[in-house]
Order: sequence, then structure tokens, then C-alpha cells
Amino acid sequence: MLRALRIYGAAALLLIFVAFPLYWMAITSLKPQTEVFRVPPTWLPERWTLEHYVELFLLTDFGRLFLNSLQVCLMSTFMALAVGILGAYALARLKVRGKEAYGRMVLLAYMFPGALLIIPLLLLFRQLGLTNSHLGLSLAYLTFAVPFVMWVMRDFFASIPIDLEEAALIDGASRLGALWDVVLPQAVPGIIATGIFAFLFAWNEYLFALILISDEALRTLPPGMMRFVSTTDTNWGLIMAASTLATLPMALAFGLIQRYLVTGLGAGGVKG
Amino acid sequence: MATVRLDRLHKEFRSIGGAVHALRDLTLDIADGEFVSLVGPSGCGKSTALRIIAGLETPTSGRVLFDGQDITGLEPRDRNIAMVFQSYALYPHMSVRQNLEYGLRKRGVPREERERKVAAIGAMLQITPLFDRRPRQLSGGQRQRVALGRALIRDPAVFLLDEPLSNLDAKLRVHMRAELAALHQKVRTTMIYVTHDQLEAMTLSDRIIVMNHGVMQQVGTPEEVYSRPANRFVAEFIGTPSMNMIEGTLRPEGGRLLFSAPGITVPVPPAAARQGTTGQATLGIRPEDISLVPPGTPGAIPAQVTVSELAGAERFHFIALNGHSVIVRTPAATVLHPGETVALGLDPERLHLFSGAGEDAAAIR
Repeated sequence: MLRALRIYGAAALLLIFVAFPLYWMAITSLKPQTEVFRVPPTWLPERWTLEHYVELFLLTDFGRLFLNSLQVCLMSTFMALAVGILGAYALARLKVRGKEAYGRMVLLAYMFPGALLIIPLLLLFRQLGLTNSHLGLSLAYLTFAVPFVMWVMRDFFASIPIDLEEAALIDGASRLGALWDVVLPQAVPGIIATGIFAFLFAWNEYLFALILISDEALRTLPPGMMRFVSTTDTNWGLIMAASTLATLPMALAFGLIQRYLVTGLGAGGVKG
Repeated sequence: MATVRLDRLHKEFRSIGGAVHALRDLTLDIADGEFVSLVGPSGCGKSTALRIIAGLETPTSGRVLFDGQDITGLEPRDRNIAMVFQSYALYPHMSVRQNLEYGLRKRGVPREERERKVAAIGAMLQITPLFDRRPRQLSGGQRQRVALGRALIRDPAVFLLDEPLSNLDAKLRVHMRAELAALHQKVRTTMIYVTHDQLEAMTLSDRIIVMNHGVMQQVGTPEEVYSRPANRFVAEFIGTPSMNMIEGTLRPEGGRLLFSAPGITVPVPPAAARQGTTGQATLGIRPEDISLVPPGTPGAIPAQVTVSELAGAERFHFIALNGHSVIVRTPAATVLHPGETVALGLDPERLHLFSGAGEDAAAIR
């Protein structure tokens, strides 16, 4: 009994630590401007209002930022999965000379701090005409997303019994046919989980988006939202409303990922 | 339907520590419609050989020929083979029907023909009621049948089976073994069967290939391999309980050749004696070829019973013989007690002699 109490107590503390900022964000976005700065603060709005949300869509370009972010993130996620899955499969299954070393280098690339990459990338992209382009930004995100997908999916593929592919090869499938018909259906949980992670990474990314995109019309959410902070004034209600809306896709995604992470880890079953 | 020829197949797996020879110079001809088993302990190269025939592995050197045609470089899908895996390897996300159909689909077989073939296989293997189930909803025996069906449906030229029965429980294994034998009678396709279970190999095969350390030890009918093992390894591997082995020497004496070990002296049969081999040797004799004789019989060897085991219709007696331990097989009615002294008679016609003591010691005939 006491033990359960302690565990639940610790869990509650952790929950408060993690969830309170989210709660505060949501609650602040629903308070009128006058209530946002009140001391002592109110735990629930005295007057519930959607004025910041209305303002967000009428007075700022939040909608466009959101759609820009969505476009970049979907593009980079799709490309990362397409490239990363093939790469991971090759690392897991094909006999490639030096693939162990290559696999380790991929992990190293993933650990490389983005801040070090951004200047060379900017110079490179400028010459290629990829600055101020959603394609360019998506490609830049691949520097992180592809190694991530490869690293996770490689282990995932390795856990799928090789007999299945070999059976498909003998049944008349090509390598890619076996991958498509037999391996990928087993890997769906892993693909969804890594896809969502890759998406979230791009969704939250600030530095690359700030530096590679200077055209206002093409900006994505994280740098776009920074403009709500000005030198003289910060419209906290507006920022909180924008943050709440920007967090929603992530919350939804994690709702999905939970289930797939569990089934993903339980995958395998050699005997079919 | 096809003949299979393996021509000096050689396979090395290179690793940082050096090369492992999985297969050395395997040459073998398999007739059309023959049931051939590759048998040996794990790591003997039997699975590597099968995977090379399937095209899942490339030989380091050597060729595979089907009907005289070199197919060494062909992809598995271009070889017209079917394979049953130890794990069955049924596609988990497909129903039984889809599993059966997959190979036909991949080969562009029209829908009506697919349906006809699936129905025929379903009836033949009695799996029609399972068609809409997923593999995980099937029992081991049912999965085995579906895996067989998936291989049979394509009418392959060569049928490869990689330890297909070893995931089944003992009773089901005997049952499926009989079904497999009946199936081969019916379809008469060339079948190559890999197993570590010598009994499966003995009961199913037209010919057995015994392998060890990547080297073919003997090829022959089950009868030949059992009664005329080519070397000590084959002699000990085939048959349960194993052949008794007594190490000693061969020496000429009084115009005859004698095998002698502490406490035992046996005249060598004339045929083997003609080869004139002398020196270190091993005497082998199967448990059923040792008889209990009345004490005082000329040539009888006195010995003590250690343990007696009843195995249903027969008994195995563990008998100490001057420091050697031998197993004697008798009908269940022959009761011996531990500590009892008995006299053993060795049937001279059924002695096996091997020159040397290692497992590769060749038979002297």
C-alpha cells in the first residue's frame, strides 16, 4: 500500500513537472489579455475567451505558417522514409562491404550538432538555389531524419525473420518485391513510429528554418511564431494560442505513436 | 521435374578470424523424381548446400545444374524451385489462401487457374477449411501443411525441404513423415531434404548423403549407409543407439589377421583381411549384432551388465567389457540384472573395421 502510494506520488510529481507548462500554455491562451498578467495568477480563466485565436487567424499569418510547416514536414518525412527504409534494409540484409562501418557513420551523422551543419548547408544550398524553398528545407531536415530512420528501421528489419523474405524470393518475388510484399507489412508499426518521430523533429525545428528561409511567405511555424515577440512587447496570449495550436498535431501524433510503439516492439514471431 | 547436378560446390564464409569452409568440393547427381536427404550434425554444410541449390547463397566455386543447364548465377525466382522452411515462413499478414496464391500471383497466373490450383491443393492437403485463417491461428501441423501446399502449388522442378519436421512434436512428426512419404509417391518431384535426424533420412529417402564439416562422407541408399558405413563418422551417426566402437590394433598372427583390444581378440573376416591393413584400428559393431551366448561358447567374451533399459518392445543393455562400454539390443523378454556376468558373441559377418581411431577412419572391407 505504502509502496503503491510512493510510486503514484512520484508519477504525479513527474506528471506535474511535464504537464504543467502545457496546462499553463492552454489556459493562458484562453484568458483575456487583462487576465494574463494578473498577480496572483488565476488557475482557470475567470472569463473564457477565444479572442487570441480569432486574432491569430485574422491579424497574423498563422494559417499560412501552419500550412507551410505541414508541407515541409510531410515532404521531409516522406523523403526520409523512402530513402531511410531502403538504406536500412540494405544495411540489415544485403551483403555490402563495410556496411558495419557505414552503419556507425550514420549514427555519428545523427549525433552531429545541427548548428555546425547549418553554415556549410546554407552556402551549399545558396549555390544550388535551394534557399527560400520548402524542398530545400525538407532536404536539410533529411540530414537528421534519414540517419534516424535508418538507425531505427535497421534494427526493425533485422528483427523480421529472414525466412519470410527468402520464401518470397523463391516464390517469385524480386528483392524489392519481397521488401514490398512481405517485409514492409511486418514493419508497419516501426514505419509509423519512426515516421511520426521524423515528422515531429521537423515540426519543432527552429534553426534551419530560420536560416534557410527568409521569404516571409514561405516561413514555417517555429521562426514565424518568434515574430510575435518584439523588442518592446510580447503578446503572450497570442503566443500561447499559437503554441497550443502548434502542439495539437504533436499531441495527436503521440496519441497514435503510443499504440504503435508497443506493437512495434512486440513484433517478430518467427513461426508466423 | 528435373535432374540436379552439384559440380564441385565449394563455399567459404570469410570473417575477420579467417575463412570457414562450410562446404568442400561437393559433387552429386540427383535423378529426376528422386528423394535425397542431406544429413549430418549442425554445421556440417547440409543447409548451405540446400541454400546454394535454392539460390539464396552463392557458392565460392562450383556449379549447380538442373537438367544439365548451369543455373548457378540465376536468381531464386528463376530456378523453378520451391522450398519449405523449418520455421514454415508463412507470410503472417496473409490468409492461408493468400499464402498459397502468392507464388502464382507473382508469376502472373490468371485468376481462374489460381483458384483451381488453390482448391486442388486444399483438397489434397485437407486445408480447405483453413483458407481464411491467418498463420498465427493455425497449429504447428496445420502450418506445416500450408507450407507444403505453398511449395507444391507451383509444380516446381525441384522441391527443397529444410528440416521441415523439426518444429513439430514427436507424435506429429512421425505422422507428417508418413504424409511426406505418401506425398512424394504421389507427385514424384525431385525432392532434396535436409535434416539432422538420421531416422527421418532413413525412412524417407531413396538415397542419403551423410555430411560432416562440409565434406560429403558417404552417398548411398539407407540400407547401404546403415550396413556398410564408409567411415567411422557415418557408422556412429547413422543408427540409434549408435554403433559400439572399440579402439585397438590390427596385427597378423599365425597367418590370420587379428583385431585386439584389452580383453578382446577377434579374427578379422577374410574379405577385410585381404587388404592387409595393420596398426591402429577401430572395431565397430551395432547393438543388435551382439548376442548373448551360453558361458563357455568358443570365442565368447565375458562381460558385466551395468544398466538395463526397457524401451517398449526391446531392451538396451549397457555392458562393461574390459574397460569398454558397449550397448546390446535384445528383445524385451531378455532380462538382465546390473552386476550380472554374461558372455557376448560378436557376429563376425557384421563386424565393421576402421583403419585408425579418428572419426574419418575409413572402413576396411
